[in-house]
Amino acid sequence: MPNIKLRSSDGETFEVDVEIAKCSVTIKTMLEDLGMDEEEEEVVPLPNVNSAILKKVIQWSTYHKDDPPPPEDDENKEKRTDDISSWDADFLKVDQGTLFELILAANYLDIKGLLDVTCKTVANMIKGKAPEEIRKTFNIKNDFTASEEEQVRKENEWCEEK
Amino acid sequence: MPFISKDWRSPGEAWVKTQEGWEKKKVLENCKAIKQSGAEEPSTYGNTETAIQPHCHITIKSTKEIAGFNELNEAVKKLDFMSAVRDVRRFNYICALLGLLIGQQMTALSGCAQKVLLAMLEEVASQAVASQHNPRNFRQLLKNLRSLSEAERSSCWGGLLGSQVLWSEHTAKIERILKMAANMQICELSPESRPQLLQLPEECIREIILRLSDHRDLTASAQTCEQMATIVGEQRVWRELTKFHFTPHQIELVLPKNGEKVDWKDVYHSLKKSFGLSEDRQYAEMLSLCRYCRCLFWRSSGHPCIADQCPEFRARLQEAGGITPPSPVPPSAFLKFFSL
Repeated sequence: MPNIKLRSSDGETFEVDVEIAKCSVTIKTMLEDLGMDEEEEEVVPLPNVNSAILKKVIQWSTYHKDDPPPPEDDENKEKRTDDISSWDADFLKVDQGTLFELILAANYLDIKGLLDVTCKTVANMIKGKAPEEIRKTFNIKNDFTASEEEQVRKENEWCEEK
Repeated sequence: MPFISKDWRSPGEAWVKTQEGWEKKKVLENCKAIKQSGAEEPSTYGNTETAIQPHCHITIKSTKEIAGFNELNEAVKKLDFMSAVRDVRRFNYICALLGLLIGQQMTALSGCAQKVLLAMLEEVASQAVASQHNPRNFRQLLKNLRSLSEAERSSCWGGLLGSQVLWSEHTAKIERILKMAANMQICELSPESRPQLLQLPEECIREIILRLSDHRDLTASAQTCEQMATIVGEQRVWRELTKFHFTPHQIELVLPKNGEKVDWKDVYHSLKKSFGLSEDRQYAEMLSLCRYCRCLFWRSSGHPCIADQCPEFRARLQEAGGITPPSPVPPSAFLKFFSL
């Protein structure tokens, strides 16, 4: 199996199997567009991902490399936020900063599965909480004026009753 | 040692003394392997080949005469609900079940069933407090619990209560759970943590919002700040929510005919009003029922099916028109097996 070298933003180089690297659609199209040369020792620079996050992304892709592609028609599955395999759940027991960095990396590298599972994890943190609790969880500043807040609240109450 | 009752007519179960009290041997054998694997670290969790798959045989068409054969407490133990609480895929299902069971009507259940249900609730409470997952569900359960303890208090005036010792244990447990809930606090994120939710690009926040399947969560996030309110207000969010909960046919009925502009938020709410939300879309994993074995099991862990073990039976089934897949059992259907 041919390997490929990936360089993170802080200059560390990782050597991974091409098949694993191709989990990322970004890398896959890059390789296809440039044409892969067996002989050449090329390093793919990933200026948006640091080494700690890249290491985690590679770990995730290695575990999921043999996953069957998700069925196209089952759009409902995306919404089941608690549908996270136990391996992924353990993998994502990280602090919030790392979790968001993983979302950014998955978005940049275009790894659909990883983006899905990380977003579900964040959605689970929102689920069932009151607005004030959500603000606390994510350190969100309330930038509504009192009258705006009242208006939003009323609008939603009206929907509830309808 | 087999237990033989005074009139010699008992089924002759062998009983084993455990930490939680006496239990039938057959029930213990069914969940022993699970207990062991549950005690280990979650890293060895995948080692399910040696563990017994949690499953429970059940009489499907329950009549008054045989209703006693389906015992709730046995099913709860055999299906390993205790460790299901810790599985994020099963947590919401268990909460829904407990929500239906715990409450005033619980005083009518058998003592054993009351005991396991409260033990389960305690497990849910400790899990909910630790992971802060879905506090709304948990608060609903607490409300039920309070009505239960009220029912218990009022039933001294001639109501049915059962063993007094058991109830004093229950009361202690209920108090423990309520205390745990009172101490529950949402941990605050330190402002230094980087990056933060609102620093993500809008498309990422949208991805997260799109995964919320409950409109209450959407409105709650809309009330946090302006940026979230803008994203939640987008038509796409509500359109996908509607498509998740309702069939194309149902949506067709509500859509305005004369090419007017569609407000998907209104569409969602009017559909919700006329059809209600379907139960079986909401859980990642449900119990399933195999028609051939008459057996309840968790879909992801499977069960020892007779159609798999006996090739002749399998061939006959295929002749008879193919094997029907196991049917999902939503919480309310689960209770029907126990005539509840």
